[in-house]
Formats: sequence, structure tokens, C-alpha cells
Amino acid sequence: MTESNKPNLSVRLGEINLKNPIVMCSGTFANGLEYSNFYDISELGAITTKSYSLKCKDGNKPPRIWETACGVLNSIGLQNDGIESFINDHLPKIKDMNADIILSLFGESCEEFRELALAVKKIKTNILAVELNLSCPNVEKGGMIFCSMPEVVEKITISVKEILNIPVIVKLSPNTGDTIMIESAKRAKNGGAEAISLINTLVGTAVDIENIKPRLGNVLGGLSGPAIKPIALAKVYTLSNENILPMIGMGGICTWNDAVEFLLMGANAIGIGTANFVEYCVGLKIIKGVSDYLESKDIDDVNKIIGKLSNKQIIK
Amino acid sequence: MKLLKEEILNNEKYGENLYKMEIFSPYICRNAGAGQFISVKCSREKIFDPMLRRPFSIYDIEKEFNVFSILYLVKGRGTYLLSLLKKGDTVDFIGPLGNPIAFNMNSNDYLLIGGGIGIAPLYLITKVLTSEKKNVLFIAGFKNSNFAGIEKDLLKTKAYYKIFTEDGSYGNSGLATDFIKENINKYNKYQFYCCGPVDMLKALQEIFLGKKISATAIVEQRMACGIGACMGCAIGIKNEDGEIIYKRVCKDGPSFNIMEVIFD
Repeated sequence: MTESNKPNLSVRLGEINLKNPIVMCSGTFANGLEYSNFYDISELGAITTKSYSLKCKDGNKPPRIWETACGVLNSIGLQNDGIESFINDHLPKIKDMNADIILSLFGESCEEFRELALAVKKIKTNILAVELNLSCPNVEKGGMIFCSMPEVVEKITISVKEILNIPVIVKLSPNTGDTIMIESAKRAKNGGAEAISLINTLVGTAVDIENIKPRLGNVLGGLSGPAIKPIALAKVYTLSNENILPMIGMGGICTWNDAVEFLLMGANAIGIGTANFVEYCVGLKIIKGVSDYLESKDIDDVNKIIGKLSNKQIIK
Repeated sequence: MKLLKEEILNNEKYGENLYKMEIFSPYICRNAGAGQFISVKCSREKIFDPMLRRPFSIYDIEKEFNVFSILYLVKGRGTYLLSLLKKGDTVDFIGPLGNPIAFNMNSNDYLLIGGGIGIAPLYLITKVLTSEKKNVLFIAGFKNSNFAGIEKDLLKTKAYYKIFTEDGSYGNSGLATDFIKENINKYNKYQFYCCGPVDMLKALQEIFLGKKISATAIVEQRMACGIGACMGCAIGIKNEDGEIIYKRVCKDGPSFNIMEVIFD
């Protein structure tokens, strides 16, 4: 145990150092401002901003939300104000809250990712990492998601790394199947990524049979929440066994127990998403819960449980 | 806005699947205004199913007793669980959310149009306006007599009211919107506040089209966070240039100029 007799919670994902392994997922925490009404968000391992594109994006036609059994379907459509607005309007406010920031980015083409990196290069304040959301459609390839094409994952990672001296995290989708997921993770590593975020939402839909129309304006949406936790956990386990890159595991985590499951299965950090909509202070609760769990097991360092149930070689 | 766990003083059945829940909350009574809402965690503590909180308009505030209420219909799992709560139980909610209505108090005459459970935010509006000695006409339209229970609340105010039922089983027979259509020239100097199903709000847009009427719609949308973070409750709003932009019902609304709203 450390001096304060509390277990060490700090973790390292390549060159990314987190004071604890609790990260807020992109798109579920806005830029933290709303949540800072409830607690000091600088206590979190990091917050991932909403995903920013080169230009502002209107998002999808409403309705955008439909609740399912133990989960939520959303089709927000990555609505955002554009990267320049993030840099000029939002970033100063986040810095005032002293939160560690992972900046999420998405483009519609490889060139857009490069241009985004050029915009991010201008940022003077400290950004912990950028997360490349590669689950969005590539318009150059007929709308196929970037991470279904491992060679494109590498290409984008290289082009961003060439410009930015900031660690890069690549966020992968569970919708590609394990073979492509593993290949994409390898290519991300080749491209210079420090870590993988896993998983993005699963594609899903729902139907209003009374009015005979889809529940979502966009028809298809992304499923999140406890309904997808077993799938997310399996993906984390599968990728952990490959020992490619450190991981931020996410998908349906609502409690500290869920978080510990992901750590044991090989996630070096965990992401909280949909639970933020319900329990506004869930991040803090999970930090405390993980710490208490370690204490109850007489474990002095969270790193000692990471990957305990997978064939992960702990990255020291 | 605060996360609260407060005591339920009453969870009264007002009709078939229709309930009024009274909650003791000095904080809400001090800080909430007409048109605002709360978002309730309907699942039990530490349980995440149903997952999302449910938004409910504030129906009434009785400041002298530190009690406010919500009126709700049991439509799914969340509201069903809510209906099982008893006097003395606590309810986990956040509020007040959304913007209170900025009343134009220069006017003396107000017309409130509610359809179905859409009457919920209009009752508090009625109380605020009548307490300011304004002339309020409340037009409520329902499918049948299920909402008859709300008349006892309306009677407590100094508002004039007319209740319409589609099946004619209570009050006047017919659609509330037909009454508005037939009498619009009589009321075109009134300030309108409207809340109800999309079909009703669309019908009102048609009636108001081309007339210089000031009308506010309090709109509903499926919501996730309720605090402006997730962009889930977006609704299309036509801006001055005729472009459609998406606004958040929870943070930018829930009240909008009815003529600017895109009802899909």
C-alpha cells in the first residue's frame, strides 16, 4: 500500500499515464462541464471529449434515443461544433476544470483525419492523448467504417502520428468481427498508436409497430448499456490475449464490479459511457469502489489485477 | 439543478394508468418554474434496468407546503415501477431541468391548449398566470373521460376551462383543435401555450399559419441524460434563415415557438 494506505490506482497505457483507470467515454460526457456541477471531474483518470470533426456536423434526424432491455439505442450522428470551436470555445473551459483530456476525433476520409491533426497541432494546452474514432463511415469507401479496413487504420494512425506529438488511441468497433478487430489493432500499433479503446456501440435498431416506422430517425443506431457488457468483456479478453496494445475497455460498465471484471480480463483502464446518463456521479463511485475492492483483497496496486484472467503480459 | 432523493407524500390514481405523485421538496419548490421538468430514476437503487431516467413536467408546486407534483401515465416499465411507489417511499430525481417559461406579462389574455398527458405542464402555467390576475382559458382535449380527475384541480384555479373528449364521454364532444380552429379569430390577441401529442401540435401550427399569433409549444422528446450532455433529445427548429438546426429539448427547451418546431 502507498503512504496513505490506499492502493495505487495509477496506470500506464504506453506513454499515457492515468492517475486512475477510470475514463469517461466519448459522447457520453460532453466536455465535462455539465458533470462538473456534480463533482470535481479532475479526479477522473481522464475525460474523453465528444468526437470532433473538421467542420460542424448537424447530427442525425430525431428521434435519436430508444431504450431497450438493459440498454440504450442512440443515433446522435456525431453532432458537434467542429474542431475550431472546440479549440477556441470549449477547451479553455475544460482546462479550467483541470481535467485530463483525451480528445476524440473523427473524419470522413483519411485526408480529413490529417487536417484534423493539423488543427490539433495548434493547441497549446496539454492534451493527454487523441482518440481516433474509426467506427464512423468512410465516404471514400462507400460508407464502410474505417476500422473494418485494417490497412486504412494503419494509414490514418500514421498520418496523424506524423503530425502530432501526442499519444494516439484507436477506438475500434465490435461490429467488424474478431479477425478484423485483431488485425486493426496490430495495424494501429504499426501506425504508432499507444492504445486501443474497445468497444464502440453495437449496431442495432427497434420498430414502432403501432405507427409502423423505425424508432430512430436514422433507422440504425448504436446499442450501449449493460446489455452489451458480456460482449464487450469478451472482446477485451480476446484482444488482451493477443498482447498487441494496452486497452481502455468499455461497454455497459455501470458499477465498480463491472470495472473490476474488465480489468481482470485485460483492460488497462475502463471507460464509462451510458451510465453517466443515469448516475451522474458514477465515475467517482467506481474509483472508490475499485480502490475498496483492492483493499479488501489486500492488493496494493491495481496493476496487479490487470489481465489476471487473460494471457496478457503486463506492460511494465 | 440538483440530484435529490425526496419523500413521496402521495401517489394518487387519477384515472386508468394515470397518477399524480406528490413529492416533498423544499428545493424544487424554491427553485423550479412553470415549464420545467424533473428526470426520475424509475429503477431501484443500484439497478440499471430500466436504464434511463424518465422526464416529467412539473404539474404543480404548492410552495406553502414545500410540495410539488408530477402527473404521469403508465406507458412502459419505468412509469409502471413509478406507479408502485407508495407514500413514505423516496424517489430519486434530478431537477429542476430545462428552462422556465419566460412569460410575457404585458398581455392580459392567455389560451392554454393541452392534449392528453400534455396538460401536465399547463396546470402550473395556469396557476402562475391566474395568480397574476391574468385571464386564462384552458382548453383540454382527451380521447375519453380518463382525465376527468384533473377537473378538480382546474376548479381550484380562477381559469376558465373547456374539456373536450373525442368519444364525447366527458365534457364537450369533439377535438380541442376544432374548437380552436372555429374560434381562432376571437382569440388571436391571446398568448398561446400548447402541449400535447405531435398530431395536435401540427394541427395547431396549421391553424396559426399566416396569423400573427404568439404561441409557445412545450415539446416532448425521448431523452437520455436530461442535462444537455448527450444530444439525444434533439428536435428540429427552423431558424430565421429557414435552415433546420437541432436543439436539445432538455437544455434549450422544452419550450419553443410552435411555428419554428419541426414535428416529424
